[in-house]
Amino acid sequence: MFGLPWHIVLPTLLGSLLVGAMCSAVGTFVVRMKLSSLGFAMSHAAFAGAALGLMVSVIDPIWTAILFAVLMAAALGPIADLSRLQVDTVVGATFPLTMALGLIFINKAPSAGIGSGALSLLWGSVLGITMGQVYVLVGVFVATLGVLVLFGRDFFALLLDRKLARASGVNTARAFYVLLFLVAIIVAVSLRVTGGLLIYALMILPASAAFQWAYDIKKVFLIAPLLGILASLSGFLLSLWADLPIGASIALCCAAVFFGSVALSPKRRRGSRGS
Amino acid sequence: MDDVVSLIDVRATYEGERHATLAGVTLSVAATEQLAITGPNGAGKTTILEVINGLLPIASGTVRTLGQEVTLASHRLRTQIAYVPQNLFFPPDTPFLVRDVVFTARFGKTGTRRLSSAEERRRINRSLKAIGISDLGGRPVGRLSGGQQRKTLLARALAQEAKLLLLDEPTANLDPEAKEDVSALVALVRRELGAAAVVVSHETGPLLDASDRTVAVDSGRVVAETRLGDRVSTSSR
Repeated sequence: MFGLPWHIVLPTLLGSLLVGAMCSAVGTFVVRMKLSSLGFAMSHAAFAGAALGLMVSVIDPIWTAILFAVLMAAALGPIADLSRLQVDTVVGATFPLTMALGLIFINKAPSAGIGSGALSLLWGSVLGITMGQVYVLVGVFVATLGVLVLFGRDFFALLLDRKLARASGVNTARAFYVLLFLVAIIVAVSLRVTGGLLIYALMILPASAAFQWAYDIKKVFLIAPLLGILASLSGFLLSLWADLPIGASIALCCAAVFFGSVALSPKRRRGSRGS
Repeated sequence: MDDVVSLIDVRATYEGERHATLAGVTLSVAATEQLAITGPNGAGKTTILEVINGLLPIASGTVRTLGQEVTLASHRLRTQIAYVPQNLFFPPDTPFLVRDVVFTARFGKTGTRRLSSAEERRRINRSLKAIGISDLGGRPVGRLSGGQQRKTLLARALAQEAKLLLLDEPTANLDPEAKEDVSALVALVRRELGAAAVVVSHETGPLLDASDRTVAVDSGRVVAETRLGDRVSTSSR
């Protein structure tokens, strides 16, 4: 396929499919609960963490990426819990910090780590993904499904209205932090596909597009991963065909999916009191 | 019969506020009673509801609801309390159907098991039918009128099988006909559930007229109390 052997194509396709589905699925929560700024902060924290892993060279960058993303979630979570306005301000401060750290770590990385390793953190390199790394993604995917089953009802109530959920007996703080850490982990393990600069696109845009197609949150949850997979696979094929960085190609396709959904949305064609 | 709500000299302050929002409130609600709380804006009416439900911690005093001391962690207790907040309005882009809004009230009853069951669907349909909004079940809640959204929340309270209703300005911003409608539905829900209700309202109307007792709150204190019999005997003079 495209002159590539199947032992490269298969993990690439599987990796793209899993990342596209997972990022878009959690992106549904991020978009609905207006946590985009947190998602942004976690994706750049994951980038800085992965760059640290590259620098120290003795640990797989994915683990340091997870560590940094989780630490960011732990630091910003309480602020988001108390006041969303303050989160935007803090995220505005953390973004240059994490980007600067990431670039410093890359600069300090051993010469063997620079080049393809550093570039893959920035732009993504799903072509270099191994089956072992795909197994990690599968593990996270299965764990995500488990979390969604275990906390699905709490999340469902949280998505409607947080105060109403809490007043009905849902432990909203627990649900919120479980969700936050889930997003952090998924962002970190997905770095390899789109890179730290553009992972945010895969998390937000397909989910935002899904909301254009349905008034029913259950349908949004089905549509978002499908759009994420579409964007991932389209981006992968585009990058091969046009010889473009894969992360940027996926981000382009995410944008196309979003703007296309806005333009074609059935919500635009209904009256003010649609059925 | 024991009171379902008991507040004794309760003081409470919202975070960041210098002055106490509740400055020593004592009141109680008997089982199956409807208590109305009136007062000007900022008097502490909503705060009383939040304290009863454990959504706001108290600085001093005691709060017992449905026989239990209330804290921020009283999640299980809240599954027995149907709280309809003030000014809860779902914007047009809210991605929830009416049926799903009512469904969220059932979570505390069944824990974190699978998302749906035939019995739960039956209970939800029964609640929608009792409130008279069966035809709205598949509609996006954000596309409904204010009165229809209030009815959805009452169907939700019914589906929750709550023992106590806490309703904050349930008829605010509704036209007179909708006010009568909602008031009648509150009475129906109370009857169906055998529940007590605490209703906050700053305006007169059918909901206040139907209350067994009314307490007036001002500056975080109870300043007056009237019973239905007193109001009737006063109005007949």
